[in-house]
Amino acid sequence: MEQVTNEQVLEVLKKIEDPDLHKDIVALGFVRNLRISDGKVAFEINLTTPACPVKTQMQEEAIKRVRALPGVSEVSVKMTADVRQHKGLDTSALKNVKNIIAVGSGKGGVGKSTVSVNLAVALAQEGARVGLLDADIYGPSIPTMMGKSGETTIRENLIQPKTAHGLKFMSMGFFAPGDKPLIWRGPMAHRAIEQSLSDVEWGELDYLVVDLPPGTGDVHLTLVQTVPVTGAVIVSTPQDVGLMISMKTLRLFQETRVQILGIIENMSYHICSHCGSREEIFGHGAVKTASESLGIPFLGEIPLNQAIRVRSDEGYPIVLAEPSSPIAHTYREIARNLAAQVSISNYASPKLEIVEEPA
Amino acid sequence: MDIKESSFFQPKELRKKGNKEFRILWSDGHESLYTFRRLRQNCPCALCVEEITGRLILDPDSVPQNLEGLKVQAVGQYGLRFDFSDGHTTGIYTFKHLRKCCPCDQHPNQTLRT
Repeated sequence: MEQVTNEQVLEVLKKIEDPDLHKDIVALGFVRNLRISDGKVAFEINLTTPACPVKTQMQEEAIKRVRALPGVSEVSVKMTADVRQHKGLDTSALKNVKNIIAVGSGKGGVGKSTVSVNLAVALAQEGARVGLLDADIYGPSIPTMMGKSGETTIRENLIQPKTAHGLKFMSMGFFAPGDKPLIWRGPMAHRAIEQSLSDVEWGELDYLVVDLPPGTGDVHLTLVQTVPVTGAVIVSTPQDVGLMISMKTLRLFQETRVQILGIIENMSYHICSHCGSREEIFGHGAVKTASESLGIPFLGEIPLNQAIRVRSDEGYPIVLAEPSSPIAHTYREIARNLAAQVSISNYASPKLEIVEEPA
Repeated sequence: MDIKESSFFQPKELRKKGNKEFRILWSDGHESLYTFRRLRQNCPCALCVEEITGRLILDPDSVPQNLEGLKVQAVGQYGLRFDFSDGHTTGIYTFKHLRKCCPCDQHPNQTLRT
């Protein structure tokens, strides 16, 4: 029987295009470890994120195309992922953290922290190494949502982040446990954020999700000035987009050249638990319309649902507690869309460094 | 910020030449060559420019001719911070501001101060 060659396999794989990066998977260098023996073909497709929205389709398509070649009896495709590092200006702080994703909102009470937690857990469920930093100095709620509070320990001069649900996390709440408020002026907040970024043993992470305080303030500026942020996600209810409040936060990121990875509509609608009728409490779809007019990716919409709140209060985010629920499914889809936007941003952004030369 | 504007303020290459000069090659191909003295004169910080009115506090002529730049650091992704030999370090120079104080002939009207 005729033996299939590496070239023939690569030739058919070239027909598969990454939908986000708009290039074929061979040109992108995704195809690795190609081995052929006795008509058995095996290779890996190395994606830019384990949370790829089209992982399964790509695998199926690759198998189908290679299978169709003459002389192929068996095809095995292993899907792997290597999250590409954001090419920022400054790489000294957090050098093992590949991407920093800021989650912001125009105002408080839009569910930003709940969204952050569920997205972080969803990314970890996909196999990514994830960290979560609760930078909300006004109302740090992530210790409750992650089910772990209390003080942090210090080892070798580094604050040890807590671990729960497959990810590492750190919260401003650890600096003032219980009902004690954080009564900080700007410089204190600045220092605390700096410390949470550089003095915490984050280790190697694919994504560090930073849950920002609502609005625009000291913490936002410190974050964008201290580390190269890969991009920002805005959480908005349909209502506050209408009131243009989310736009203020959006502008802050644009002014400081942080890429907007996308907008999420939270509390999009409510399904009545008694009669099943759908109520659009804050209006619905306004965020999507706004994202279209601004040319910003729309990552998805999450309904107002009691189970999300209950699970958050119990310390088990819904993506973990009810993984097969429609809401968990929605969250995972948004997490994959987000991961795709991170990959696109890293692929497109140029690398910048300051070169020093003698006069 | 539209796309055109963002590429206008997007640097491609940043080069510190000794302690006297600093060069930026922009994405649109334009090149800006600054002396550190000029950069110091255009410091946007609150000690040099009155925040609300934009009135100059720093007298540009008071900046010594032989002023040097000791260090250049990135500020996030949107700007730079310079350590000058007179000990001044507080200005955050956004790329937008840097493009505006380009000393070349093409931008005579955009020059804030000389």
